[in-house]
Amino acid sequence: MRRKIIVFAALATALAVQAKDIRKVTVTTEPQMHCANCEKKIKNFFKFEKGIKKIETDIPQQHVTITYDADKTTEQTIIDSFSKIEYQVRKVEDEKNDKR
Amino acid sequence: MRFILPYIPLFIAVIPFQAKSGTVQSTDTISGYDLEEFVVSKRKPGTFGLSGPETGFQLNRTELFRAACCNLGESFTTNPSVDVDYADPATGAKQIKLLGLSGSYVQMMTENLPAFRGAAMPYAFRYVPGPWMKSIRVSKGSSTVKNGYEAITGQIDIEYLKPQDEKAFNLNAYIDSELRVELNADANFHLTPHLNTEILAHAEDRFLNHDGNHDGFTDMPDIRQINLQNRWNYFGERYIFHGGISALAEESRAGQTGKHAPENPFLINLDTHRYEGYMKHAFILNRERNTNIALAGNMTMHELDAYYGTKLYYVNEKSAYAQLMFESDLTEKHNLSVGASLNYDYLGQRVKSDPLPGDPRRINERETTPGAYLQYTFKLDRSLTAMAGIRADHSSVYGWFVTPRFNLRYSPWQPLTLKASAGKGYRTVHPWAEYNYLMASGRELLTEQLEQEEAWNYGLSAELSLPLGAQTLGISAEYFHTDFRQQAVVDYDSRPGILSISNLSGKSRSDVWQVSVDFKSSFGLDATAAWRLNDVKTTYGGKYMEKALTSRYKVLLTLSYKTPLELWQFDATFVVNGGGRMPAPYRLDDGEMSWGERFSAFPSLNIQATRWFRHFSIYAGGENLTNFRHKNPVVNASDPWSPKFDPTVVWGPVSGAMAYIGIRFNL
Repeated sequence: MRRKIIVFAALATALAVQAKDIRKVTVTTEPQMHCANCEKKIKNFFKFEKGIKKIETDIPQQHVTITYDADKTTEQTIIDSFSKIEYQVRKVEDEKNDKR
Repeated sequence: MRFILPYIPLFIAVIPFQAKSGTVQSTDTISGYDLEEFVVSKRKPGTFGLSGPETGFQLNRTELFRAACCNLGESFTTNPSVDVDYADPATGAKQIKLLGLSGSYVQMMTENLPAFRGAAMPYAFRYVPGPWMKSIRVSKGSSTVKNGYEAITGQIDIEYLKPQDEKAFNLNAYIDSELRVELNADANFHLTPHLNTEILAHAEDRFLNHDGNHDGFTDMPDIRQINLQNRWNYFGERYIFHGGISALAEESRAGQTGKHAPENPFLINLDTHRYEGYMKHAFILNRERNTNIALAGNMTMHELDAYYGTKLYYVNEKSAYAQLMFESDLTEKHNLSVGASLNYDYLGQRVKSDPLPGDPRRINERETTPGAYLQYTFKLDRSLTAMAGIRADHSSVYGWFVTPRFNLRYSPWQPLTLKASAGKGYRTVHPWAEYNYLMASGRELLTEQLEQEEAWNYGLSAELSLPLGAQTLGISAEYFHTDFRQQAVVDYDSRPGILSISNLSGKSRSDVWQVSVDFKSSFGLDATAAWRLNDVKTTYGGKYMEKALTSRYKVLLTLSYKTPLELWQFDATFVVNGGGRMPAPYRLDDGEMSWGERFSAFPSLNIQATRWFRHFSIYAGGENLTNFRHKNPVVNASDPWSPKFDPTVVWGPVSGAMAYIGIRFNL
């Protein structure tokens, strides 16, 4: 019986994890991130936002990639939230399209 | 609590501004000058090695937040290079050791100005609250001659939070299981685009009368302190100003203070008032060539009123320091720095060092020391930096003396850095001001006309930084040798019943080897393992012996883990302090010996967990969780009036395991 419960719990956990809708969005910022303080400002803001799982910054590429739980937040909410720390952002795909 | 707020002394001063010199200098520099050295990293390391020719490291707030870090003295608990001595039960004097030698051989500085000299020295490490600090820069061995001749084993330079930093209002509250309560606050204001100010405040108190071994004598003093500082700066196009004032009041109570104290208790009371002002002016002549003239200085008044039973010590110390400096990059490879300085110390003292009836003696000391220096730095790309400096000073007490220093950095291969240093240092000893806490001992404290301390220091180090994918593995090894030509020797050994501070007669040296391995992962885990061997010997009464109360070795292991979003942080620090020699023991009235010939090695474990929220963080932890403690820190505690009483011979923690919790608001 005990073994069945453990197997059931493990399966339930696995399903729950699988059920999460984890997505990524990559943006560039305006003004540009030009130093560690800009990077810190963005990370320190988003790490306390609901649904955020990971924040990666790439200063040479000027990219911020945010991994989030789509059940708890949305791409648009994240993009809009940048304005609270006085940044305007553009999705990287949008930028590529503009260049084409 | 009695606080006297007399006049704040007028201060002249002003000084230093570092032009870039190829090192990660303190951040109190001209804005923009250090950009060449700016490093953008994915995760800012809490500790990093100095990139210039000097050997050493810099701790920032990430590192300071890894432990309770209530003050400067507690900032080095996660660091292998600096030992923090255990506070003595009488005064709480808690000093550090660098390169196996007393902290008095380290030149203390705040933002590149000499600080905490003379009477402040034994207690300096509790005069700088942890939350006020932005970073600490420690250079080991011979270093620059710009800041004077005093550094023998190295320099510790403290950077406070800056008025020009991003606007912030921080509050911190802390309490531990020994009912020590601390409150800290800091706020900065950007008044105009050029003018900024900052206020720093600190208060602490201990509400528990601590006598863990129930010998009737406190194991640690009850310290109450209020500490305030106001800082200003102005950034113009070609002129920069920094200035500020600070005031500190502290009282320390120890001895037979408990409920069962005898009718005529032995009390140790220290009352301190300290006032300080500083200014720095920099005139930028040529930005491209980093050419500037700087004038800086500080002025301090430090008053200590101390009672050790019926012995007493009073000092009113007034110090002033001023420095004028010119720096310029002659070409891309050649930098020149020249300057002149003036230091003035006056110590008005009253001393009664024996328990007999009578009036105290007046012992006044005065020294004026003008001097000048020249320092040349040669920089070849990023592979070679050589820095040679020489200074000449004239003391009104000791006459002329010359301080040469040389530092070399060579990187034959990018991951490998080799450094070498050699240089001299001098120090004027004010025996009563620096060692009056030894008057708590029942022994008679004797001193003589002391010579100026003089020592050579030589160092070699190698640092290898290997990238392992996204991780970094750092391996470093270093060796430092200090050779004293003249030293004030604190001698517990030669004469029973006497504690003497006398001139060195014979050899005195220190050899220190250290190896450390640092691992910085890409998934939030950092680890450090370090081992250090101290071989320190001094001549006591004609006998060349291992220096007393100095651990033979130190082993340190630290682990730090941050969750991916850095919302949680877990830290653990495990230290083994090696054993060492005790001063010559003596027989007590009950037939027992005062202590053994040697003290044994002992372990210590500290842990801390921190949870970060948007506007605050909570941290909780434990210190000395191995619960190891000095069983008998106060010798002959039952009879403190006897000459066999001694609370000053401390080699380990006097209290057991301790828990704490704190909260930091950032609004």
